[in-house]
Amino acid sequence: MAGKRFDIAGLMQSKVTWAVIAEALILLVCFMIRPDFFSISYQPSTGMLYGSLIDIVNRSAEITIISMGMTLVIALGGTDLSVGALVAVAGAIALKFLRWDVLTYTTPGDYTVYPYILVIAVPLVVCALMGLFNGFLVAKGGIQPIIATLILMVCGRGVAQILTDGKQFTTGYSPFRVIGQGSFLCLPMPIIITVIVVVAVALFTRRTAFGAFVESVGVNPSASRLSGIKAGSVILLVFMITGLLSGIAGLIYSSRIMSNDSNNAGLNFEMDAILAVVIGGTNMAGGKFSLAGTVVGSLIIRTIVTFVYYFGIVAEATMAFKALIIAVVIVLQSEPVRKYFARRAAMKGGVRA
Amino acid sequence: MPGKNILEMRGITIEFPGVKALDGVDFSLREGEIHSLLGENGAGKSTLIKCINGVNRKDSGTILLDGHEINPSGPNEAMTLGISTVFQEVNLCPNLSVAENIFVGRQPMKRGQIDWSEINRRAEELMSRFHLDIDVTRPLSYYSTAVQQMTAIARAVDVQAKILILDEPTSSLDENEVQLLFSVMRQLRDSGMGIIFITHFLDQIYAVSDRMTILRNGHLVGTYNIDELGKFELVTKMVGKDMDVIFSLKRANVPPDAPVMLKAEHIGDGSRIDDMSLTLRKGELVGFAGLLGSGRTETAEMLFGATRAVHGEIFVDGEKVSIRTPFDAIQAEEAFCPEDRKRDGIIGDLSIRENIMLAVQSRKGFMHPMTKQEQTELADKYIALLGIATPDCEKKAGELSGGNQQKVILARWMAASPKVLILDEPTRGIDIGAKAEIQRLMLEMCGEGVSVIFISSELDEIIRCSNRIVIMRDRAKVAEVDGASCTQQDILRIIAEGAA
Repeated sequence: MAGKRFDIAGLMQSKVTWAVIAEALILLVCFMIRPDFFSISYQPSTGMLYGSLIDIVNRSAEITIISMGMTLVIALGGTDLSVGALVAVAGAIALKFLRWDVLTYTTPGDYTVYPYILVIAVPLVVCALMGLFNGFLVAKGGIQPIIATLILMVCGRGVAQILTDGKQFTTGYSPFRVIGQGSFLCLPMPIIITVIVVVAVALFTRRTAFGAFVESVGVNPSASRLSGIKAGSVILLVFMITGLLSGIAGLIYSSRIMSNDSNNAGLNFEMDAILAVVIGGTNMAGGKFSLAGTVVGSLIIRTIVTFVYYFGIVAEATMAFKALIIAVVIVLQSEPVRKYFARRAAMKGGVRA
Repeated sequence: MPGKNILEMRGITIEFPGVKALDGVDFSLREGEIHSLLGENGAGKSTLIKCINGVNRKDSGTILLDGHEINPSGPNEAMTLGISTVFQEVNLCPNLSVAENIFVGRQPMKRGQIDWSEINRRAEELMSRFHLDIDVTRPLSYYSTAVQQMTAIARAVDVQAKILILDEPTSSLDENEVQLLFSVMRQLRDSGMGIIFITHFLDQIYAVSDRMTILRNGHLVGTYNIDELGKFELVTKMVGKDMDVIFSLKRANVPPDAPVMLKAEHIGDGSRIDDMSLTLRKGELVGFAGLLGSGRTETAEMLFGATRAVHGEIFVDGEKVSIRTPFDAIQAEEAFCPEDRKRDGIIGDLSIRENIMLAVQSRKGFMHPMTKQEQTELADKYIALLGIATPDCEKKAGELSGGNQQKVILARWMAASPKVLILDEPTRGIDIGAKAEIQRLMLEMCGEGVSVIFISSELDEIIRCSNRIVIMRDRAKVAEVDGASCTQQDILRIIAEGAA
């Protein structure tokens, strides 16, 4: 009994708990305003499930995927500002391979100029290499991550513009449409991809010692190096993974719009991803990370946006509204608030025991 | 002439969840005295001073300052009452100038602007009181730890302190710097200040204090005049049991034909160390003696690949090895406990379990993870073996006391079962009981055939444990002497004169 009570105090201390509570509260408000918010229906014609909840998970896919990598970067004590730009790069390269020369292939349609495998593989490889470039600047150049990744954040969109001659291509190639708009097991494809990515990153970090090494380097790089951890390789790998994941998010994004948009694709994604990680309870100073927390964080961000759309709050107020709710979540998670509730839980336990 | 009491604490009790950190402790400090506060780690020294400077709130008892009851709510309030504390880790801004550090937060103003010339003038004046003739406009990081420490003291003193608390100020100073600090302390004492001094170095207590108070497990053992109590009685009172252990340590027995485990030939890092050679036999303990900066640490770092040897050759167990990084050294079955435990050793936010398994895991590579159960078994084994004081292996390593942190780092390397273990100041800043245990462990490992390099600034422990002693001076080896037959005077003479 005493042990159980103690656990409650421990749970109250955990940031992830508060993230879950915040998400539940937001959903509860949605439910009270619109009882049908939770309803999910099956559409036989498309073979897909529909509903606000499905939509939230579906639309959060890009941020969730990117923030898996961002979690590791932040656990190392850094940040990656280039992820949004890499989303644009991935989209630009994919569309370039689908349409290649718009003067020859003038009308968009259900075709691809280069083999589909290149449409998928090249953007992912390029994004991974760009991530590696970030990692190289950080690990070998000793440049602060926020500065190192600023380079690609600024020039990434430029690269995307150059690749597509500043044009916005569109395509109608149906296998490409599947990535962002298809379905599998009645669920939208982005959800399936997200689940695969989350599981893969979780297995890679927690079923190997990689996660422990990341945390160790994040807390104390010097001591980690002297314990035999190749800190440089860990950093390179983490940034490369983040680049690759940004590429995957970029393909989903451009498949949703069946186009590339070098200016707006992935805009402010880096901020949302960082926010998702922080809401999820990973400390910006580095160290212990929680992938589950990050997933909840990403869902919170998307729930807020959906909430805004769903209840017809004027579009101009969206950003302010989002900021307001996030401020509340962050305050709920702050040290004094968590300690207060943990103390109360502990005290209650004491009285009852 | 002993003055009146400026500080009196009666029946101080502080409880933390589960433990009584202090239980009815009385303490008094007179005007114009240096009063040492003694006890093992966890005895309650830090808790007591934190109670004086308001970091911890007492649960019962009274504190009288000049006869008036006080109840400081934090270091700032304590400071306005005239109680200044210089903590173990210098809490200053390395990138600000010495003068700025002294006056930060209370800069003298002139016509709404900071009066820089006044700041610099007053800072110079303060530092010259300490016989330090330095450029106070240079950034603090430009100067040695000793100067940084003096800066912290100058800052504390300038706020018109009546009571100065020094928590382990000497743990990173060399002998000359310690003497400088002592002369400053005496000067402040003679001007009527009451100084509370915490240190782990027994010699320093006898060198500088007037009285001492001993705590053990949160209880007061007693307050004594310095000439009332000999060293041996003092240690016995601190530990609460006879300290025969430390005097019964026997150096390792190495047969003359024992195989050479580590051989370094003419290694140098191209800047600090030019030419260093060394052999180490199986089961042998070689001590490195010399002043701070004499090249002891630099040599150790090169042997472990923390800095790269640009020339020379290293052989481990007869095989030539290329050691470019610590990873290579670990593959060659070397281990290294660095000097700066906090910066290079302990990974504070991770658990004891994770700290202990780290070296084993990094040797295996991350693709061959240990299961959590294996890690826990490993950690529990060493927690029991080394007597690490913790409820379980999931406690954050950073929350342990210094001595226990050092044991965790030792456990990390013992778990990796190395052939060569390099220990750089493993006993610095930890209490006498833990020191004895670490020396015992070190010698036990020698007995099991591990070769140990032991670097320490304390000559008595070097002589007590070493088979051979390498004496370093000016970044080079100047002599090698036999551990069994040499004396402190021999070593000091060589360090001073530079030849055997």
